[in-house]
Amino acid sequence: MSRTRRISDTLSANRIIAGLILAAGIASAQWVHYPTVGIPRTKDGKPNLSAPAPRTQDGKPDLTGIWDVLHNRPCPPEGCADMWIPEEFLNIGFSLKGGLPYQPWAAAIVKQRMAENRFTDPNAHCLPTGIVRMYTTPLYRKMVQTPGLLVILNEREAMYRQIFTDGRPLPEDPQPSWVGYSTGKWEGDALVVQSSGFRDGLWMDANGSPLTESGKITERIRRVNFGTLEIEITVNDPKAYTKPWTVKLTQLLKADTDLLDYYCVENEKDGPHLVAK
Amino acid sequence: MFGRIILASVLLAAIPASAQWFNVTTPGTPRTPDGKPNLSAPTPRGPDGKPSLNGIWQMNGKYLQNIAADMKPGEVPYQPWAEQLFKARQDGALGKTDPAARCIPGMPKLDALPYPFKIIESPGMVMILFEGFTTFRQIFTDGRELPKDPNPTWFGYSVGKWEGDDWVVNTMGIKESTWMDNAGRPHSDALHLIERFQRHDFGHMDILLTIDDPKAYTKPWTVKEDVRLIPDTELLEYICVENEKDFGHLVGK
Repeated sequence: MSRTRRISDTLSANRIIAGLILAAGIASAQWVHYPTVGIPRTKDGKPNLSAPAPRTQDGKPDLTGIWDVLHNRPCPPEGCADMWIPEEFLNIGFSLKGGLPYQPWAAAIVKQRMAENRFTDPNAHCLPTGIVRMYTTPLYRKMVQTPGLLVILNEREAMYRQIFTDGRPLPEDPQPSWVGYSTGKWEGDALVVQSSGFRDGLWMDANGSPLTESGKITERIRRVNFGTLEIEITVNDPKAYTKPWTVKLTQLLKADTDLLDYYCVENEKDGPHLVAK
Repeated sequence: MFGRIILASVLLAAIPASAQWFNVTTPGTPRTPDGKPNLSAPTPRGPDGKPSLNGIWQMNGKYLQNIAADMKPGEVPYQPWAEQLFKARQDGALGKTDPAARCIPGMPKLDALPYPFKIIESPGMVMILFEGFTTFRQIFTDGRELPKDPNPTWFGYSVGKWEGDDWVVNTMGIKESTWMDNAGRPHSDALHLIERFQRHDFGHMDILLTIDDPKAYTKPWTVKEDVRLIPDTELLEYICVENEKDFGHLVGK
């Protein structure tokens, strides 16, 4: 009954991924089943996820809600795991014909990282995901839209991201950081978020697609109906890619629940076992 | 007394660096004629007439070191086992057993971190974003009750409500392995925290923290922690696990 998100071995073919996300288990909690206020419901009381997107008082779409990845990766024969990764978890360019337009050094480093069993993946060492992998990690995140600020609360590491919508400009020479600096403004019904100021060495997927400190990311976030978020991510990082590229990620609303604790560092046993081939 | 506590190990793991939003102008801040924030201006209030707690705040750092810093010797009503464990911990000999040393802070220590935290009120839920550990608490104000037999978590389960001008937050379901301060004051799985947020004016707030834990303390006891508003700035990033070098030097089983 309870949403335990037990991690079974969906990833046996990719056992190293287990090292990336098996570090902490998640236990059930009492607010895992708690009705979300304000959700339109069908006659039988179920959330009506195809109802129109909610709006805030100023008429803008309200992105508030708990969001999960779209599970677009087939399950193994033994069944789906609760911790069910999307294709973009492994390869953020999954939907792109011909894949990501890597610069030669970036293609080489991706090849090397995969050959090394992704041993140096910051995620595997419990470091932050960065903003792209935040969306492909099969843990939930809660968006809370407030005047002047959109907050994303992540289950993973119980970390947050702030997207300022108060009109401030992006910093010109920011101190590089894992999560970067983000500002958003509405263009019609899309919240357009610009981010920069990333530290070098971020991975955007488990294959190791790099993001450099000169990278800029644009997200166009649209709540197409009550239950669906579409996020178009454009990465403009000429140091690592020969041209800007855009992928679309879909996020699905999880109604009547709340975030759980997930600490990668809690009882972490995998680090010492991670080895290069 | 606390000179030997391994505070540094717990808090120095990551040092936030400067950022460009370190100096921004916080809108809605009352100012004196010379443009400086007027921290003694009246408490701002929301449409419901209740004080607004929104803002970036910073706790007096001494309570992280010693949650009972303002109490006289003998005033903390320990149960015998709790006092024994506290004495065993307070010289740092068991530093390795503090979850915060492994980059997992717990309540109520999280509140006492000397780094800024940001309170954001939203309908039905108040968020507290902490610079320390880049983590957050959710305090539900949608009328839900505390869970009866919750799965213990690092920060517990919190609900808040107004009593006059005090915002009262009840928390339970906190993992018993967390230390309440760096000196090592313990608690049990029965810990019930009551935080009373009292914003006295624009720039000053007290948090009256009551520790109600009959398994570890013979009666509830209350400490008053003072918090000041930090205007015109923003939270920085703090990643405890990044380049962490301390844990290997901590002692204890």
